[in-house]
Amino acid sequence: MKKIVPWAVSLLLLFWAVSKMVPPKEKPGLDVRGFGGLPVLAGGRVMPMDSLARVSLSEWNHHGTYSRADKTVIEPTQGLLEIFMMPERADTAKLFEVSNPDMLNLFRSPDAHGGFVLFSFSELKPFFGEIDKQAGLADGTEPDARNPFQRGIIKLRAGLRLYLELKSTIQAEDSPDFGKEIEAFGHAIQPGMNALRDRGAGKPFSELDFERILVFTQRYKSLTQVKYASAIPNPQRADQNEGWQHISEALLSAIRDGRVPEAATAYGHLIEAYRVNDAAAFNARLRDYQEYLAKVVPEKLARPKLEFAFNQARPFLQAMALYLIVLVFALFSWLLWPKTLSKMAFILLIGAFLIHTAGLVVRMYLQGRPPVTNLYSSAIFVGWASVLLCIILERLYKNGIGSVCGAVIGFVTLLIAHNLQLDGDTLEMLRAVLDTNGWLATHVVGEALGYSAMFLAGLIGIIYVFRGVFTRSFDEATSRSLGRMMYGVVCFATLFSLVATILGGIWADQSWGRFWGWDPKENGALLIVLWNAIILHARWGGYVRERGLALMTVFGNVVTSFSWFGVNMLGVGLHSYGFMDRAFGPLIGFVVSQFAIIGLGLVPLKYWRGIRARQVQVPAQPLAPAILPAAAKQ
Amino acid sequence: MTSELSRWLKPITSLRLTIFCLACAMVLVFVGTLDQVHIGIYEAENRYFRSLFLFWTPPNTQLRIPWFPGGYIVGTLLLINLIAAHLARFKLSWKKAGILFLHSGLILLLIGQLFADIFIDRESQMRLDQGQTKNYSESLYHDELAIIDTSANDSDRVISVPDSRLHKGNRIALPADSLEVVINDFYPNAALVSPSQLPGPAYPHLQIGPMADAVPLDRTHKENDRNQPAATVSLLQNGTPIGTCSLAAGFPRPVNLQGAGKSYQIVLRPKRFYKPFNIQLLEFRHDRYAGTEIAKNFSSRIRLMDPAQHEDRESLIFMNNPLRYRGYTFFQAGFENNDTTTILQVAQNPSWLVPYISCALIVFGMLLQFGMHLVSFVRRRVTS
Repeated sequence: MKKIVPWAVSLLLLFWAVSKMVPPKEKPGLDVRGFGGLPVLAGGRVMPMDSLARVSLSEWNHHGTYSRADKTVIEPTQGLLEIFMMPERADTAKLFEVSNPDMLNLFRSPDAHGGFVLFSFSELKPFFGEIDKQAGLADGTEPDARNPFQRGIIKLRAGLRLYLELKSTIQAEDSPDFGKEIEAFGHAIQPGMNALRDRGAGKPFSELDFERILVFTQRYKSLTQVKYASAIPNPQRADQNEGWQHISEALLSAIRDGRVPEAATAYGHLIEAYRVNDAAAFNARLRDYQEYLAKVVPEKLARPKLEFAFNQARPFLQAMALYLIVLVFALFSWLLWPKTLSKMAFILLIGAFLIHTAGLVVRMYLQGRPPVTNLYSSAIFVGWASVLLCIILERLYKNGIGSVCGAVIGFVTLLIAHNLQLDGDTLEMLRAVLDTNGWLATHVVGEALGYSAMFLAGLIGIIYVFRGVFTRSFDEATSRSLGRMMYGVVCFATLFSLVATILGGIWADQSWGRFWGWDPKENGALLIVLWNAIILHARWGGYVRERGLALMTVFGNVVTSFSWFGVNMLGVGLHSYGFMDRAFGPLIGFVVSQFAIIGLGLVPLKYWRGIRARQVQVPAQPLAPAILPAAAKQ
Repeated sequence: MTSELSRWLKPITSLRLTIFCLACAMVLVFVGTLDQVHIGIYEAENRYFRSLFLFWTPPNTQLRIPWFPGGYIVGTLLLINLIAAHLARFKLSWKKAGILFLHSGLILLLIGQLFADIFIDRESQMRLDQGQTKNYSESLYHDELAIIDTSANDSDRVISVPDSRLHKGNRIALPADSLEVVINDFYPNAALVSPSQLPGPAYPHLQIGPMADAVPLDRTHKENDRNQPAATVSLLQNGTPIGTCSLAAGFPRPVNLQGAGKSYQIVLRPKRFYKPFNIQLLEFRHDRYAGTEIAKNFSSRIRLMDPAQHEDRESLIFMNNPLRYRGYTFFQAGFENNDTTTILQVAQNPSWLVPYISCALIVFGMLLQFGMHLVSFVRRRVTS
């Protein structure tokens, strides 16, 4: 019975997490999910409509949500459908977040104090002239020197532009019925071309046909001004991304080919059905279009479909929830029912890790890349590698520390990733210099492994300090095993960060012409290597024991966070593609907390609760030399 | 090793010195990185890493007070410490083999980098327009005053004065035709303006041409900016002036002068590094991801012409794939003029292979060392 309980409880919890990843049954009505899985080319890659919706929404507001005028929040794909097919209603949706007080003041918002306000496109319309003017002024300031108002206004202008472009993705926004329009266009092409040919040859021609095709051409030419996402596959070249066309390009090329592309017609029909709210017709047309795609671009369907399922499943959120549960179980296991709770924690940790792994692998498949390509994916991977190390530690030591560490690092890194996600497409295409899987797989992954180990060692150091200072559960064996764990993990960190840093130098030698250029990111990596070298030499020389090792690994957290995020904030150098300044406050907070913990660890040992508990138990024995720092011994 | 010698060596072989040096290196790297925000990478590199000391200048003084060891001192000390420690405690044993490999890799790396740093002026670029051929690259940071003897029919003779010797009032003897250059006036950085833009006739300026004046600017340390000096110089032959002119590096147009039956050109321009071969740009390509402005690839198709070596061939230089030829390496660094001009970074680093070797040594050493730790750890667990 005792053996079954932990298995039963943890498997039940796991089942709950997995069940949340399975999509719910489709409700009757519009096949929104079917539409969300349709492929579209945006940002240089073919993605599902659902991702286009999510990426766009995250450009507009920090929750990435689409809320209608009546404040109901709808699915991203539903919102995208509205923007595509019923722009007059989308114009009233509260999409654009403004949080800068000066900007709110500019828009004469009543609640200009604190927080943020969501504006709709229509509400901002009266201020377009002002936004354009202010953003134009802000353009004159160098990006680094812009103040929050200037940054905000430029971002808003970009957001509005994106919105305008999206409205014209599959239709001309001002068309009362685009389906009918392109039908008429299709009929006008042949006569128009005939008229054009006759006119050129000096023969009599139909002025009406000539005028008509001219008007259409002008209209679709002007539509190219707002081209962003390309939703129309060109059957001849659709295996290459260059073969995808914006609706305007597709219609213009139709004049040459003599017929409107099937995809454009299909979207026209979808719009027609959507506007009269005819779900049956919409779904039938959608199925036709899906079959058409399966016929002409079968190789471009698998990834968007998987990506769509991935968007829906949100594996990293489920893993986060599980890590949190693991943390609770593992922490309580130090207080009561140690065997049962720590077993449950460990089973769940492995479950969470498997979900985490699945998410990571799917992302790698979608991108066709090694796991780390940008800051977002580095957070996912650093967490993943740390949890893997923790599982190994827990298997070796079976004292719950591995589970606690895995839970904390897994949860925190995924939380960081969740916040970074709002910066845009996390599967974005890679800039030219990064376009090399070999180096991404060795140098970048190696650095990330180094970060993982550094944070893990630092966390064990924190546990050492807290358990020693505050709890009675700090016997000599615990202290020793914590010390061994830290040492092992630091060795691991040294190995990976040193090798990865040198590999980075070799990459730099091949792409920039110098092995070492003192670029901030390089220096950040070097700091980690130097600090590891200091820790190891200090330990080998006997200058530090467990406590010193613990405090040094805590300082390692500071060094690693500087290298991971801090240097990106400097905005200097060739590596500054991972730039972000939002994290500045949290980073400072983290650094301060680490110094506080180091300060706590420097409290003389006689005040440590863990040490005093030991003395009470064995009053005759002197303090064990193992936990004494070098200074106290002399 | 005699006990006398080892006692004498003790301080420089100590682990404490290692830790002290590593800690100094951390401080240097950290402060040097932060300071890059203000003074740019190149200047920070010179001040913190390629220097003997960090200097502090108290406000309103000319004093330079050293307050911290610079990169050269820390690096050298670390190197000595490392080598001395191994000499003093050298024992051939399996237990130490990993450490030995690792440290010899590090020693090699440090020596290689120190060598590359001191002896090689690395930062130069070759700018080529479509179809253009050049046999020189230009420094990113330094300029030169070039005096060119154009009298001969088949070749020019170039005498270059480095910008470090250009100071107001400096008199420099040239190694030919008893020529001398006098620097009458010198701005380390200058902007070119049209005469009508001058705030007044008394505003300090050098007249570069009928349409352009150079006005002094503060030296810049910005990443994508370079200093463009301007100077008024006189050329003297046997002590008699044969001409005086104002020159600006931002407008490197040669000025012609005559003296003793010879014609000379004088020009202030980015410092040139001549190569024993020619490179011609055939085509530059800048590919973007479909429907975006994100760069997917830059590449330059060039023709390499080296009659002396009987080489005349095409080569494609692109990101992460440089051309290595006769000790020089050409990298795709950038582009200009609406994708018609390519910028190739040129590096001359005879020790470029060193990091590869030291990397292999370090990896091998670490795997050996930590692997042995791991094996003994696992063995202990199994027996217990």
